[in-house]
Amino acid sequence: MDRVIILECVLASLLRFWLSHSEYKQIIADRVEVSTPVNSWKRVLEGSVLYDEGIDPYKGDIFHETPFILVVSNWLMHNFSPTLICLIFIACDILTAVLLYKTAALFMNELFLKQEKEKGGYAPGTEDLHVTKDDIKTPPIYVLSAFLFNPYIICPCVAQSTTVFANFLLAATLYFMAARQRILCCLCLSAATVQSIYPISLIAPIYLYFYKPGQAIKTFLILVSYVLLFIAIFLFAFAQLDGGSWNYLNSVYGFVLTVPDLRPNVGLFWYFFTEMFEHFRPLFVCAFQINALFLYVVPLSFRLHEEPMLLATSLTALSAIFKSYPSVGDVGFYLSLLPMWKHLFHYMQQGFFVLCFLIGTSVFGPTVWHLWIYARSANANFYFGVTLAFATSQIFLITDILFAYIKRQFALAHGLERILDGKEAKLILD
Amino acid sequence: MGLLTDPTTGQGKIIQILLNHHGKICVLLFLSSLVWFVLLAHNQFNAATYFSENALLPGLVKGDYSDDGVAKRVMEELEVEADAHQNSIPQSWIVAKFRQFGLDTYLHNFTLNYPLGKKQKYTGTNIYGILRAARGASTEAVVLSLPYRPPSSTNPTTLPGLALMLGLINFFGKQKYWAKDIIFLVTEHEQLGVQAWLEAYHGISCGLGGAVDYGDIDGRGGPIQAAINLEIHGRRLSRIDVKISGLNGQLPNLDLFNLVHRMCAKEGIKHTFYNKDSSSHPNDFVGEWRSKLNTLVSMVATQASGVPNGNHGLFHRFGIEALTLEGYEHGNRVKYITFHQLGRVVEGIFRSLNNLLERFHQSYFFYLLPASDRYVSIGNYMISLGVSVAALFAKSYVTWLQIQINGKRDTSKPKDDASIKTLKMVAADDPKTLNLVGVGSVILMTHFLGMNLLYLCQKFTSLGYFSTEDSLLVVLASFSIISLVFPLVIKRCFRISNNWILLNILALNELATLLLCVAMHNFSLAFIASTIYVLPAILIDSKKNSFYKKTLWLLLHPLLLLFWAVLFYTGFTFMDLSYLTILKRAVSATKTTLVLSVVDTFVYGSWPFTVATSILLPNWLMFWWVLIFSESRDCMDQASKVTKDKSKK
Repeated sequence: MDRVIILECVLASLLRFWLSHSEYKQIIADRVEVSTPVNSWKRVLEGSVLYDEGIDPYKGDIFHETPFILVVSNWLMHNFSPTLICLIFIACDILTAVLLYKTAALFMNELFLKQEKEKGGYAPGTEDLHVTKDDIKTPPIYVLSAFLFNPYIICPCVAQSTTVFANFLLAATLYFMAARQRILCCLCLSAATVQSIYPISLIAPIYLYFYKPGQAIKTFLILVSYVLLFIAIFLFAFAQLDGGSWNYLNSVYGFVLTVPDLRPNVGLFWYFFTEMFEHFRPLFVCAFQINALFLYVVPLSFRLHEEPMLLATSLTALSAIFKSYPSVGDVGFYLSLLPMWKHLFHYMQQGFFVLCFLIGTSVFGPTVWHLWIYARSANANFYFGVTLAFATSQIFLITDILFAYIKRQFALAHGLERILDGKEAKLILD
Repeated sequence: MGLLTDPTTGQGKIIQILLNHHGKICVLLFLSSLVWFVLLAHNQFNAATYFSENALLPGLVKGDYSDDGVAKRVMEELEVEADAHQNSIPQSWIVAKFRQFGLDTYLHNFTLNYPLGKKQKYTGTNIYGILRAARGASTEAVVLSLPYRPPSSTNPTTLPGLALMLGLINFFGKQKYWAKDIIFLVTEHEQLGVQAWLEAYHGISCGLGGAVDYGDIDGRGGPIQAAINLEIHGRRLSRIDVKISGLNGQLPNLDLFNLVHRMCAKEGIKHTFYNKDSSSHPNDFVGEWRSKLNTLVSMVATQASGVPNGNHGLFHRFGIEALTLEGYEHGNRVKYITFHQLGRVVEGIFRSLNNLLERFHQSYFFYLLPASDRYVSIGNYMISLGVSVAALFAKSYVTWLQIQINGKRDTSKPKDDASIKTLKMVAADDPKTLNLVGVGSVILMTHFLGMNLLYLCQKFTSLGYFSTEDSLLVVLASFSIISLVFPLVIKRCFRISNNWILLNILALNELATLLLCVAMHNFSLAFIASTIYVLPAILIDSKKNSFYKKTLWLLLHPLLLLFWAVLFYTGFTFMDLSYLTILKRAVSATKTTLVLSVVDTFVYGSWPFTVATSILLPNWLMFWWVLIFSESRDCMDQASKVTKDKSKK
């Protein structure tokens, strides 16, 4: 098994290295689907040059990354050659992949143990549905491959977008969650949150992981205070890095939350807010951000409290769809987690359509973009249509996997035959 | 949420029908796509053209151009001057004339670094003059362009066009109503000159690797709104042909085409589109339909090549609406078109363009024209492609379903049991049996190689072992042969899984997506590709294929396909030659076509070659891989016979 992992990592690194040094690199880096105003490497370099010149990069509208990235990229720019910087990005990606692999391995193990424990409660005749010892070996490898050879992951890495780091922090959070390392988990969650805000919703699955019966409130308070403490430390440290100034708060987090830059991306914000009357803006910004940040946390936590990892994945996925400046890097991250639920795939029904739509829209987006921006024969509606289809297919995917989970639980509890009053019954989610 | 969550949707009645009759359904879909396309030529399925842009106000003013004496005089001078410069452009004479008529005149030098072989350099010079707008601040411009062809050129002369242009310059210069700069552009080396000039004007390079060194230009107007290209072959013309097809199949806004149509009609000039005029046959339905279909097919054939059929085609990618007026010398007709009439047409067009308040955006950019006064909009013609793409998706969906219910069918259980299936999917779709690793590596490998093929071509030609033409063919042919034989070798030497269903599904999806995306840019190319590839792709089965299917697919290899097309064309053009001569000519013509398409990729940034090598060829190889690893039908029959015999015993 180890040999397979190393082989895959080497192959994936070579692929990324080749792409980083081919003429495709610039094309990929310039794609709006890959580089948003927040994560674009071009803007990071711009910011660190301003920093060198003694100009506060947060006063302008170019740079929206954290002071940590600013200082590190500045240091990298001075001390490392572009090839080395590209290697750092590749290494970070590989590290993320390995973390995800370990997360998946821990999760599958746990799943198996849990099943063995609960086996008595299952309905007879459901043996086909059980996870076998063999079944738990392969998914981690699939998670690894799905991450390493995912075009949605390769592109951001080649374009050197900072999503690579955000993904790394997210993967670390998930790993420490699965490994039940409370402090490290909170640390990584805080780091991921200060990097891109939206991971804060992961506090719900983390709470479910560390929750012990009888200590509900205590665990919650401890977790929240850890996270808040770490976030405060990070923010304070950032201010120190930026020379004691708090300007960055508005330029980094204010930018993400109030969405002033409406350059098109794969998300749903830009079109909506270009069309809207200005005085409704605050209302809809709040509505959209609540949708991306909190709306699904409570209901999904109630439904999926037995499966916090699935909860974490679906929350990550939902924020990747609904966040203000999404890029394909976010989409690729949660897609590569899905093989962990290989045992649910039997129950998924939209798989084919989702596959077709994801492939189709990924190719169609740049095509329509070219017609709109360069050939001037199409318009914004074409591109928005494609991003809407992209988002819709992702929503189908998430709904499908969640419902597959519920169907499997139902089948385990009630057996495979679905007969109600002597007639065939239908399962419908209301 | 019923749509999302009803578990029976996967096994509904429609799905059952699809499963049982997918072959027929797919073929039916494919055929209906062809039928729909043929129907588009009928008046019921296309619509009369109309003006969307009101600002154009076409033909509302009385034409003033009457002085064609200047053009005639200039023509005589020009003929003498052209004879003195057999191979080059009479630069000083044209510059002097431009200046005499009061234009800001500039020269533009450019260099072509020939991208293949030994990297030779070619140089050329464009001449252009700007008539500064009397009533504007040079914020917008329109272009009247003309390819200069020296007497040694093989193409028909354009000198009369230049004479007309000079006559118009003289006239335009005296008018006070111009609100946009008018740029008069005389280019050298056909399309290359225009490309270099446009790149210099906008300061960007479109090709790859700096093939065109576009140099620098001194004078500019504002952003160019529209361009008219003149190719007038004689002083007395029989008709004007309007050409619109641009680089990569891009078309100008339909309003511009309508404008030209309207102005020609106003001046009573016989004008044609693909050499057909728009005369209708009110009583002859079949005749009318056939003549429109003929025009439609001509347009599709031209557009599909992605090569512009005039210098106007290069303007499109800069967001400039442009078309060419080509005037054919009259034969024995008594009634002919004079400079006077043609001058009024151009005057009318430019006065309308002068009225524009915004750039062209109202009317269609995506259309097909069955006649110069009828159009088919994107909503109508896309159906024909959509239906054949739907056949691909249907086939791929059925294949997907077949994986899921694999094994269930053979046991021929009563149908009632099938309902339980939704909750109890068999383990046949276990990813292990899907051969994920194999499928992944094939996809990765084919596309990686395909993406590097263009680079490989360029490197190999620069080595200089063969002539440029030969070395291109050698690279492509050897690549093709190696990639063809590779799966055969793998199959012989290694015992690897013969389960490539997933590859089949992905290949079908990729082909469908490719066709749809290409159709957004160049419907004609996508439609022709779909008529060629969809049916064979549907026929390919992921489990068993007859020898004939493999042969058919082999004959459809992109490289061979190019050869068939060229052979067909050569055979059609030179019917009286012997077969062997035709074959020889076809081979050399194929080589030339390859070189031209590679050069076009480097110089103009045209994409058919890139798409063919980096997506179509890998996709073809994916299907080939499926074909090779599927068992022959004969073997299957024998095997099933043997098992039957055994069961009898």
